[in-house]
Amino acid sequence: MNASNEKDLPLGTTAHYANMHKWLQRGLFVCLVCLVFEAALSFPLIAMWMGWPTLTLTEVCHEMEKVRFADDSRECIVPYPLFGPAEAKGQKTAQDTWGIQPRPHYKRIGYRDLVKFRDERLAREAAGARLRAERDVALKAGLSAAQPQQ
Amino acid sequence: MTAITNSQSGNFGNYDAHQSDSAAAQLRADKWMISGTILMGTAILGLFGLPLFLYGLRLQINAAKAGLSMRPTIVTLIGYLVIIDSALNSMGWTLDLFANHTLVNRVLTTGWGAMFDGGYFWHYNELWLGGAGAPGEKAWEIALIPVLFCARLAAAIGLLQMKRWGQQWLIVTCWMGVIVWTGYNTNMTIFADIRYSGVTFPVWGWWLYDIWYITPFLSLPYLHTVNREIFSE
Amino acid sequence: MNNKSVSEQDRRRKKAMIVFQVLIYSWIFATFLVQLYLKSISNW
Repeated sequence: MNASNEKDLPLGTTAHYANMHKWLQRGLFVCLVCLVFEAALSFPLIAMWMGWPTLTLTEVCHEMEKVRFADDSRECIVPYPLFGPAEAKGQKTAQDTWGIQPRPHYKRIGYRDLVKFRDERLAREAAGARLRAERDVALKAGLSAAQPQQ
Repeated sequence: MTAITNSQSGNFGNYDAHQSDSAAAQLRADKWMISGTILMGTAILGLFGLPLFLYGLRLQINAAKAGLSMRPTIVTLIGYLVIIDSALNSMGWTLDLFANHTLVNRVLTTGWGAMFDGGYFWHYNELWLGGAGAPGEKAWEIALIPVLFCARLAAAIGLLQMKRWGQQWLIVTCWMGVIVWTGYNTNMTIFADIRYSGVTFPVWGWWLYDIWYITPFLSLPYLHTVNREIFSE
Repeated sequence: MNNKSVSEQDRRRKKAMIVFQVLIYSWIFATFLVQLYLKSISNW
């Protein structure tokens, strides 16, 4: 090891490891920058993927539960009571192929799919309600037609 | 001892002045980097913290160029990166472990799960203690938050103070990090059906998201090959 | 300790570090490849 070379090296780095230390330092710097960007952007980008701001965060939570447990009637309880039992404890609706390596069957959630899922569900519910209303009207009409008028 | 080799002065009075100038410059740079790291450790405010950190880093590098004896840049990077890595990991897992029924966690963690890692979506909040229910996941969380990440944070602070125990404990906890990476990945591979069925970005997504946490792999070769004399008892 | 033995020790340590890096990265990379393989045979 000669002293003239050592002068330019950072403290603690011998000439032998200079190259390795240089590359490690570059790698560390890249990791730091990527981690910081990723951590900062995760929440907003995930929320947007899931349909915010069209859906409120609570609605996003509702929709994800419906997908997770394959049950349109599931809703997120917000705020959840402190020390309450686990929200989904004992649920019976989730779809899996059970076995030593269980396999879930929930729907894949693509970009803003939750908005689409909600709109489709609302349309289904509206169509169902309309059908029921029409049937009720028809039933009533049928009943009054069948009864002799007095 | 180490500062003597870097000191350009011949007599003792100059040496003292050089020492105190160096310490002052290091403290000034560290104040910026600490403020930046606190913000970056909160995750969501990271983009405000990064410029502060980079400014502190530049102050440190410039002071070293000007001839003051500063902490090596790579030690600074390892120390602060380990702190950020531990903070981010602990925050995510603490949310899942203790705050699993908050709205923020049920959007962030299960949303992340639906996109990258089904372990955080599959039967979420069904286990009696709530949170992720994937095989083995809770055991990793409980083992790693109090044991690994707390020890790692302390070691990183010791390293930044250029203490010998900081270097040694960071070596120990980085080796723990190697065990975590191999064990955690093997678990994920074995239960890959739960982890990747029905997620938006199977396999690639998780790797692109998590590969930046390989800090221990990049730190260990340095910590083992650095001249130990630069750390003080 | 003379300079020669130090650099000899340095050399061996560097070699061990390289072996270590190669082993660890290849294990991690192997799990990644296994996952990609599993992805190709299932309909995730």
